[in-house]
Amino acid sequence: MPAPAQIRPAQAAVVRRRPLRRRTRWVGLAFAALPLAVYALVVLVPLGQSVQYSFFKWDGVSASTWVGFDNYVSFVTDPVLRSTFGHVLVLIGFFALLPIVLGLLSAALLTRAKQPGMAVYRWIFFLPQVMTTVVIALVFKRIYAPDGPLNQALRAVGLDSFAKTWLGDFTWALPALGLIGTWVTFGFCMVLFISGTSAIAPELYEAARMDGAGPVREFFAVTLPGLRGQLAIALTLTITASLRTFDLVWITTHGGPGTSTLTPAVALYKAAFQNPQIGLAAAIGVVMALLCLVIAVVITRVSERD
Amino acid sequence: MSGVTDPRTWSERHNGVKMSVPKAIAGVAAGLALSLGLAACSPGGGTTGKSDAAPSTVSTDIAGAGTVTLKLTDFWGAAEGEWIKNVITGFQTKYPNVTIQRTTEDWGQLNSTLNLQLQDAGGPDIATANNGWQSLGTLAKGNLVRNLDAYAKAYNWDTEVPTTIARQNKFSTDFKTMGSGSWFSTPMARTSLIGLYYNADKLKTLGIDPPQSLAELEAAAVKAKAAGEVPFEYGSLDSSTTVLLGVQALLADKKKLNDYIYDDPSVKAADVGMTEAITLVKKWADAGWFPKSFEGIDYQTAVANYVGGKGVFRWEYTGSLGLSAAQQGHFGYVQLPQQSGSTTVGVGAAPGAMVISSKSAHPDVAAAFLDYMMSPEAGQAAVDKGLVPAMSPDVKVPATSLSLTGESAAAAKLDSDDGYVPYFDWSSPTMLDTIGQNLQLVFAGKLTADKFTAAVDKDRDAFLAQQG
Repeated sequence: MPAPAQIRPAQAAVVRRRPLRRRTRWVGLAFAALPLAVYALVVLVPLGQSVQYSFFKWDGVSASTWVGFDNYVSFVTDPVLRSTFGHVLVLIGFFALLPIVLGLLSAALLTRAKQPGMAVYRWIFFLPQVMTTVVIALVFKRIYAPDGPLNQALRAVGLDSFAKTWLGDFTWALPALGLIGTWVTFGFCMVLFISGTSAIAPELYEAARMDGAGPVREFFAVTLPGLRGQLAIALTLTITASLRTFDLVWITTHGGPGTSTLTPAVALYKAAFQNPQIGLAAAIGVVMALLCLVIAVVITRVSERD
Repeated sequence: MSGVTDPRTWSERHNGVKMSVPKAIAGVAAGLALSLGLAACSPGGGTTGKSDAAPSTVSTDIAGAGTVTLKLTDFWGAAEGEWIKNVITGFQTKYPNVTIQRTTEDWGQLNSTLNLQLQDAGGPDIATANNGWQSLGTLAKGNLVRNLDAYAKAYNWDTEVPTTIARQNKFSTDFKTMGSGSWFSTPMARTSLIGLYYNADKLKTLGIDPPQSLAELEAAAVKAKAAGEVPFEYGSLDSSTTVLLGVQALLADKKKLNDYIYDDPSVKAADVGMTEAITLVKKWADAGWFPKSFEGIDYQTAVANYVGGKGVFRWEYTGSLGLSAAQQGHFGYVQLPQQSGSTTVGVGAAPGAMVISSKSAHPDVAAAFLDYMMSPEAGQAAVDKGLVPAMSPDVKVPATSLSLTGESAAAAKLDSDDGYVPYFDWSSPTMLDTIGQNLQLVFAGKLTADKFTAAVDKDRDAFLAQQG
């Protein structure tokens, strides 16, 4: 029978492709099942529990009481807890904006002319990124101490009036902590931007130069747009890092003096592990997680827009 | 950083798939809904079962209890660790049928995980908790530790333990009040006090005798300052409150202060010397009696400075200076009497509250061990390790240790005067933060003494209101 023989190739292809597609989908899911289950167990379930706890007044042991949105309300109305948002905004300036500006500047300078030993600079500036925050915090606690190197240096050059009890000063403690963050994240941003600029096609720079662009114009017309992806990464990581700031504050000031360096993460820790207010701690955690999510989504959306 | 030339967006590169934001949010929401469904009941309902009533029949016959192994978890290291080892050896020698397996954990670690350990059937039989609402109160309320009333009766704890110490281990069985009701933990033949240390060598050089009253202390401080010394070694960077609480005990009425901390709403912070104490401490700060830039000095540095020879006096918890045997001859300790009257009142408590797990299979043996921890033998074992003994009036203290001689005398005096007041921060879970933060505000001139006292009341009253 000639007819079936004619249509066979097409039919065979159809017959063969459909089960294959279906099988691959199920095989894929089967392979993903274990990771998905683990993810659900260690991420989604605790996340859901945190959301649940945040609606209760609970000491972590005995029976809990449903309080609705009270924990969230007190996060917003309590003047001390509310002030932690303001502190985070200051920290964002020091942890995210300042390092990114400095990182862009140094990347622009370092990539314009190839200098010998540039790798060494990169390595030195990137070093804080690989150090444990605890170590960094302890080192800076020493630097900022009343008779520490910073004050000694100020006194040595006759600036005695500028010497302060940096971490014990209501005005200066938060900026002093912020500068530690700048020091830590600056190197990371710089390395990120240098690798980004090295990937920008050299023709673009040549074209800009032929059109008579100076270094500044070149930076804004070629380098900056070319770094959009890196900027998004840097912003997301540094802003969420400043939202989560805990170890730096805990080791240096415990949120003091007064509550002038209290961050949401420190408030969360105190509520969860020092005072039995698990519900409040969960509410703080949920708000922080949502903020991180929103920030990440907004930055990604903005950076992807053409 | 690889893949910089990759034309895909960041989220594409990292997620592998391009997922729209609404879809992603819907996914997360679905996950949340699922996990909420998995855990539909309210948290904390799991600890049911045993009632609060103490067992009616208890046995003090330990030798006849058969072979028993108890698990003890504590937060003691160094000399304290050696002390508990010796106490365990002493108990096991007395009762060879009993074996005690000891585990030690860092203080913060044990405090934050004890509630979980006690819910585990394989957890400790005996553990060190922390007094106050945060730890002991929560454990008692959650039925994780035993009501010890029957044992208190069997071992006469109510008559043998000073009332002001006994109260520290009691909660009412509706768990609305601390400081009265049933025993839920026991103290031990050791104590931790807040008092005044002095550098004996410096006092000798300055020609000053160790002060015996607040007035003498202030006179000594004036003299020390004039001689170019720092009268009080202190740093407030991490909100150290010992100076405030030490001074308060000299000024406050003992009963009222105890009642305040045990949450009697009719007593206010102004009734327990809080305003006077903070005013005096601020006066000392303004007079330059603390080190220069003390706002920037942390606790560890201040302790190291003092032991290293800076400053004449220091308000401190006993045992916290970490003095070596040689150094103990050069530092003295006094528990100053109250400003008015001759009785001595001091902040002090056992360095841990001993609890028996509700899940323990051998509570009788565990209780006998707790009783042994309060014995004069345990007190002598403490002195032998350089620790402050309590409830052991006949201990032999080595005369070479000036500080331990002073500390032991102070504890004996507080025992006989029944003059203990608990740590102030037991009054509410957030009190330590509150006084620490507001103390820094007072030092910076941003808060008046009256406002400080009001903030203390506000914290405790808020706690009382939510206790119901």
